[in-house]
Amino acid sequence: MLVVSNIDLRTTTPSMKPSEFFKSSIKDFTLNLNNDYRYLKTGYYVSMHAEVLGNTVIPTSRSIIDVNRTPILLLEATKANIPTNHYLVTSSVKQIMLEIDFPIVVFAVNPFSFDGYKTANNKSALYRAVKSLGMNYKFAVCAQPLRGKMISFKSIFGKCQQGERLGEIARKVYEVFGVPICKLHVQLIEEKAYLCGLQPLKKEELLPADLQLISDEVACLSLKGDHLVG
Amino acid sequence: MTTWLANIACFVEKYNFTDSREDDALQTFKRTAERMGHKFDFMFRESISEIPKYDAVFIRATTDPLYTAYVVSRTASELGLKVVDDPESIQICGNKIHQYSLFRKHNLSHIPTVFINKDDFHHKQLLEIFKEFGKPVVVKAPYTSFSRYVEKVACETSFREVAKRYFRKSDVLAVQKFVPTAFDWRVGVLDDKVLYVCKYMIPKGRWKHGAKLRGKPTFIWGRTVSLKVENTPAELKELALNACKVIGHGLYGVDIKQVGDSYVLVEVNDNPSIYAGYEDLRSKDLYGKIIAFLVD
Repeated sequence: MLVVSNIDLRTTTPSMKPSEFFKSSIKDFTLNLNNDYRYLKTGYYVSMHAEVLGNTVIPTSRSIIDVNRTPILLLEATKANIPTNHYLVTSSVKQIMLEIDFPIVVFAVNPFSFDGYKTANNKSALYRAVKSLGMNYKFAVCAQPLRGKMISFKSIFGKCQQGERLGEIARKVYEVFGVPICKLHVQLIEEKAYLCGLQPLKKEELLPADLQLISDEVACLSLKGDHLVG
Repeated sequence: MTTWLANIACFVEKYNFTDSREDDALQTFKRTAERMGHKFDFMFRESISEIPKYDAVFIRATTDPLYTAYVVSRTASELGLKVVDDPESIQICGNKIHQYSLFRKHNLSHIPTVFINKDDFHHKQLLEIFKEFGKPVVVKAPYTSFSRYVEKVACETSFREVAKRYFRKSDVLAVQKFVPTAFDWRVGVLDDKVLYVCKYMIPKGRWKHGAKLRGKPTFIWGRTVSLKVENTPAELKELALNACKVIGHGLYGVDIKQVGDSYVLVEVNDNPSIYAGYEDLRSKDLYGKIIAFLVD
């Protein structure tokens, strides 16, 4: 297993920096570890380079694009029986108000944003959210009804520290999309968790305990073998 | 009430109707589809939720994994609809780093290219590029389209200035040898067959088909000269078809430069421009062929 990482791991498992990997043509199963898997960023190019070399890679470049586009994430999650809410893709505030009652949670469909989501309790807040997340209406947004409590948490190899219910959704999202390091946005409605969105982590959001967990998982995977990943 | 054979959604944005030639081409698609017995609706982003009502989706809005068109394409594909452009083609054509990596892997003749990445960009590498390609060189952002985000640089200062701007969005950029020509060949390909062939002329005093006027937001475009497919060089068509094969089997516009008697790939574009009186001038049947492919 080839580990390409922009994170300093606390394990003896050998790993390579992305800039070294780009110059190489190593053919091996590739585990791409990065705090930021957004499209056009280094995390994306590592997976793309591995695929061009013919390597199996986690995560795939397709997953990287798709998980960062909320409507696609939700569509594919629904197909995989992960609970999701009704959603609407549009840049029209009027259309959102026509189809979804307040309060509303709005996600960016453009993958530049680190902001995640905004909630709106009234018309003017909705206008502000759509304008801001749609980058002045250039991009569409993904609107969902807000019927419970929004919870955001880190998911590392499908594991989290938020208990059984959220752990279950984190595990399923990892199984389907194979993104090892990310933040999940979930809505808790009557004790049931619904996936709402996914976003990358900033490097400073990775705490020593997270780095240890990542390192332990990498060490474990390198011992178990490639077939147990994802 | 008319009974249609298939329902086709054509995903467009408002800007698709601002140029009269593009508007004419879109109306011709609609008329052709209806003549063939298919319903053809223009679908804007507000109607994306209606995708499941259709049998096929034809995307004419600009495609890029960052744009709404990708969401449309992936959604249609996940629902099992025929879609042009398919999401895999958008992913490869929308990122020139991906595309040139595939050209390299499959030994397809293309403009000499190196990649630079943000974390490993230094003076020595810059000197090596100038030494290998000479001056000037062309710096290309991976998301280039319609001649934008491609700039010619002849010194380290301007190279760094352009790279800095493009690195804001992408961590990897392409740098290419400058190959000046009077025109670029444009070969339209559908389903592994040549659909049309044009010459995209370079405006006088410029080096690419579309060029921005200094200090103004407007673009000037070179002429488009349309040719009969059968009157164009076999080697040109073969290179275009081979390039498309490493991407997919949809609709593409392949840009090729002719250097002496040989041909080199510039890039393969998904969602190629189709303007009335330009690409279709010598290939009037292209509309019918695309509709037939969509409902096949």
